[in-house]
Amino acid sequence: MKLVFHGKRIEGLLTVLPANERLFVDEMDQFDFPRTRSLKLKEVMGYDRHRIVDGDVCVSDLAVAGFEHLFARGLLDRDGFDALIVVTQTPDHLMPATSFVIQGRLGLKQDLFCLDINQGCAGFLIGLYQAFMLLEQPAIRRVALVNADVMSRKVSTRDRNSYPLIGDAAAITLVGRCDDARPIHANLQMDGRRREALMIPAGGLREPSSAATRVAHADAEGNLRARDDLVMDGSAVFNFVQTEVPPMIEALLASAGTDMAAVDAFLFHQPNRFMLQKLAEKLHIPCEKMPSNVVEHFGNSSGVTIPLALAFNLRERVCRETLTAVFGGFGVGLTWSSLLMPLGPLAFCEMIDYPQVN
Amino acid sequence: MDTFLKEMADILDEESVRENDRLDGFGSWDSLAVLSVVAMADSRYHATFSAREIRGVATVGDLYRLLSAGAKAG
Repeated sequence: MKLVFHGKRIEGLLTVLPANERLFVDEMDQFDFPRTRSLKLKEVMGYDRHRIVDGDVCVSDLAVAGFEHLFARGLLDRDGFDALIVVTQTPDHLMPATSFVIQGRLGLKQDLFCLDINQGCAGFLIGLYQAFMLLEQPAIRRVALVNADVMSRKVSTRDRNSYPLIGDAAAITLVGRCDDARPIHANLQMDGRRREALMIPAGGLREPSSAATRVAHADAEGNLRARDDLVMDGSAVFNFVQTEVPPMIEALLASAGTDMAAVDAFLFHQPNRFMLQKLAEKLHIPCEKMPSNVVEHFGNSSGVTIPLALAFNLRERVCRETLTAVFGGFGVGLTWSSLLMPLGPLAFCEMIDYPQVN
Repeated sequence: MDTFLKEMADILDEESVRENDRLDGFGSWDSLAVLSVVAMADSRYHATFSAREIRGVATVGDLYRLLSAGAKAG
């Protein structure tokens, strides 16, 4: 479907990365694959290092550290927002929602709309749409959108299919109103028939976690994972992205009446460098307009990769000028969505580390 | 066919491969190699194949015929 929004803007962005960095070359021996093949994988996919939380660090820990930074630096008042959206697939608890955990830990006002959304790699866009809709209410003047996941805790360390690429991170995006009359164009598709392409089979109520679901088994390739761990059908996801994303972006630009050349930055979800380069080739997007370097530096942190791609590559520019930006998200659900909007100048765009526990 | 054999040699980390070589005879015929073939099918032949279809063929030549048959115009 097509979505249109008016008078909304992104005001500021902060990313929070665990300080703990691990190198792919140091992890190769935990996979049951020849080192030469793992090195080939590193080269093709662009794996190098990723950020992984220490021990039992949770989504609310990363988010609370981010908010405390914003409060301490005077970038946001403790009562300076009226809604708190948390987009995560790795909540602190089954209930209550993690937005309430963050509200309570930070001592935020009760006059606050707290909402969790279970979304993955398209979660930045889904979160923005929800923020835009909440901002239609006069009482909601600013929304704090948190995208955060600690997926490393749900991926087997012996699964070469998924472990090398994942990363943990959080982002806090402040969304507010503005006078810009130009419409924000977006589009969105979802397909629950392909829901098994990316899933954590056990641990919910359909298949409760038990001793049996915690036992790791080898798949046909030799990847070891349990039913409690994330499982991804890599080639199905590849085909999904290459089939659905290019026409989606073309449709977005057509409905907005915007030329590809008028777009300053294509900020797509960052599954791995390989998939992004294939997408850039298909869409004829020059590499310099489409960052693909998040996975090699930080890992793929689901809904946080678009904020990371922005903060890591464009933070100075986006604080100085207005960019015509296209966001593209695609992943679990399946979900695929894109959005075209003026971006910047932001009041702030920063990256901080979450301190190491040890 | 020559271009295809060269691309398969790259994917399989071999000096060269021949039409009659069995894919499961290569130690490098793993998920990465299969994904690389899926990607080659997409970019060169404009065709979408699942990992299961790719794994279902026996030899390098069978793979060539599978991809060629699935190729779409353009």
